[in-house]
Amino acid sequence: MVLRSLFSALALALCVGLWSLPAAAQSPVRPGLPRDLRSIVDVKVLRVAVTRFDLPSFHVRGPDGRLFGPEIEMAQQIGGALGVGVEFIDSAESFDMVVDYVAVGRADIGVSKLSQTYNRLKRVRFSEPYVTLRHALLFNRLAIARVAAGRPPAVVLQKYARRLGVIGGSAYVDFASRNFPDATVVEARNWDTAIENLLSGNVDALYRDEFEIRRVLKNKPALNVQLGSAVIVDQNALLSVAICDTCSKLQQFINYHIGVTRGAFTLKKLLDSDLGKSAP
Amino acid sequence: MKAATAVGRDNSLKALSRSINRPAITIAAIVLALALGAMRLPFLEYLRPVGDFYIALLQICVLPFLLATIPLAVRSAMASGSAPGVLKSLLFWVLMTVVAVAAVSVTIPSLFFSYALPDEQMMNNIGALLGRSADSVDVEFAIDARHAVEIKGAAEGGIFALIPTNIFASLSSNDSVRVLVFAAIFGVGMVLTERESGRSIFEALRHIQAVCVLIFDWFSLLVPIGIVALVAPQVARLGPDGFTALTFFAYPLLATGAVLLLAAPLFCAFALGASPGSVFGALLKPVMLGASTRNSLVCVPLALETLKNDLKVKDEPCDLYIPIGIATIRFGTILYFVIATLFMGTLMGRQFNVIDLGSLAVFSVGASFATIGLSGIAALAPLAIVLRPFGLSYEVAVPLMIIIDPLADMVRTMLNVAINCMIPSLAGGRAAMPTTQSAQ
Repeated sequence: MVLRSLFSALALALCVGLWSLPAAAQSPVRPGLPRDLRSIVDVKVLRVAVTRFDLPSFHVRGPDGRLFGPEIEMAQQIGGALGVGVEFIDSAESFDMVVDYVAVGRADIGVSKLSQTYNRLKRVRFSEPYVTLRHALLFNRLAIARVAAGRPPAVVLQKYARRLGVIGGSAYVDFASRNFPDATVVEARNWDTAIENLLSGNVDALYRDEFEIRRVLKNKPALNVQLGSAVIVDQNALLSVAICDTCSKLQQFINYHIGVTRGAFTLKKLLDSDLGKSAP
Repeated sequence: MKAATAVGRDNSLKALSRSINRPAITIAAIVLALALGAMRLPFLEYLRPVGDFYIALLQICVLPFLLATIPLAVRSAMASGSAPGVLKSLLFWVLMTVVAVAAVSVTIPSLFFSYALPDEQMMNNIGALLGRSADSVDVEFAIDARHAVEIKGAAEGGIFALIPTNIFASLSSNDSVRVLVFAAIFGVGMVLTERESGRSIFEALRHIQAVCVLIFDWFSLLVPIGIVALVAPQVARLGPDGFTALTFFAYPLLATGAVLLLAAPLFCAFALGASPGSVFGALLKPVMLGASTRNSLVCVPLALETLKNDLKVKDEPCDLYIPIGIATIRFGTILYFVIATLFMGTLMGRQFNVIDLGSLAVFSVGASFATIGLSGIAALAPLAIVLRPFGLSYEVAVPLMIIIDPLADMVRTMLNVAINCMIPSLAGGRAAMPTTQSAQ
């Protein structure tokens, strides 16, 4: 009796195993898939949060509203590697909101030129950076020269204590309060407004990464006369994919993808990209 | 007989040099150089070593000439007893000329900049040049002092650039200004010791001076070639893009420079009772040598020869003033600093009132003295002294000034030579005929 029962169980296990073989051969997903990946594979969709606004050279919308750009391609490649489709959730009004979407589970990952910050790391995981950009300032030459009173501008910028413009809801709000504690941080709705603030004299400097600062001057060369650029050599923005806090296997998966496609994002490529030529 | 042959050879050399350096040939060489430069022909780069070789030849005798000429001039002044009068007269005309040049330098460009404003296209071109030449970022710094990058300020010149603490080091490094100061001090010492002991080496110095003049005469035969070889690549290097973008700077510089360059021979002619045409033709040689070499000191021997032999200016003020004046009083730099500041102010939207313009003139004169001992791009550093009181950025100005410098350096040197040549003429006037022996 016992032997018959044991034999029946073995036969059942063998049947189940043989039945599942063709499915395993067709799909990249192996049995024993971790929960975080399984939840994506089960619904066959990787939900990717992106900002509602364009980030030239990273992701932009075409005339038909379709998203494209290297960040979009990266998300699609990750989805392809998982064997699932990609759904872009592009309603985030700010960079922080992209992180919020990932943190509350509305999206599996977020890609929008997101910098790692201490505050964000409390809520989500981040992949390895796909590009590292140095922090930078765009400053009104005349205003800084006046304060410098004959000293080199770097002396004033190092201990900047005037009105400093940043994009509201961006990592640079955190960075500004940490790196320029004496400055009055002025949050602008978006980058265009921040530049308007600088040109109108509402702020004397803007704080963002080297790419964005140089892109402004590249697209509007006349601004080189009025505005100067400064790079902060010991402060880097680690641009990474935001990943849900419990998704350790997904993080590993994305890190592997970033590792094998390293070099897709470089400062030179980003600056030379046709997608970066829209008005700053 | 041998002596007569040597004198004849010497005279024929001078005649040949004079023939080759006729104003018509000098002007033709300049026109040819400008035309070649404007065409930007590839072979012009091959002329650059020829030009550099020519400057090197001219520099061979500059320091020995200065070392010999200045003590002889000091001795001549102290022996004749006319030194105080000559010095007083020179000082008066130097002060008058500095004030006049500063006034003209401020007036004409400020009128230009008050009526001409850069359009958007020009601002774009200037901005593009600035972005390119500033190597993409203007400033680098670190928040954490442990990672601090060196913050470079403008190099300063100053009084220490004048002190010859080690004359042998100054001689070996071709530091002409310190050599000049040493020669002047040493000359006074030589005269005083000669009075006590009756012994001196002034005859030897006179021989050294004659040798230098002879060597310089040899090289003077190559002046037209030197002009073409030096000016054409320089104009070609500036290029149409750079010039178009910076016409806003170049127009007032060229216009005011032309006014001053015409005024100098006119005042000379008035002081000497000579025709303006002949004075202009004579001064063309040292001025064009300055334009081609962009080195004022190299022009000292030719300037002295022109003033004393061609224009018959009294020897004493020429010998006393020309080497020191050309090395230290940089009239072209005064104009250049004024225009650079007004140019930067206009780009940045800064207005200059009358008090500002007065201050600008004073700062520019002061900063021009800070360029003593500096040449080329290094001589731009004292521009910071002028720009910063007006809240203007030296860091922005430098890349732009570097672009325009091939042209500006030529104008600066021409003005330095021409206006400094005017001062001994005004202070000393025409020598009595026949000409007196120099530096007795």
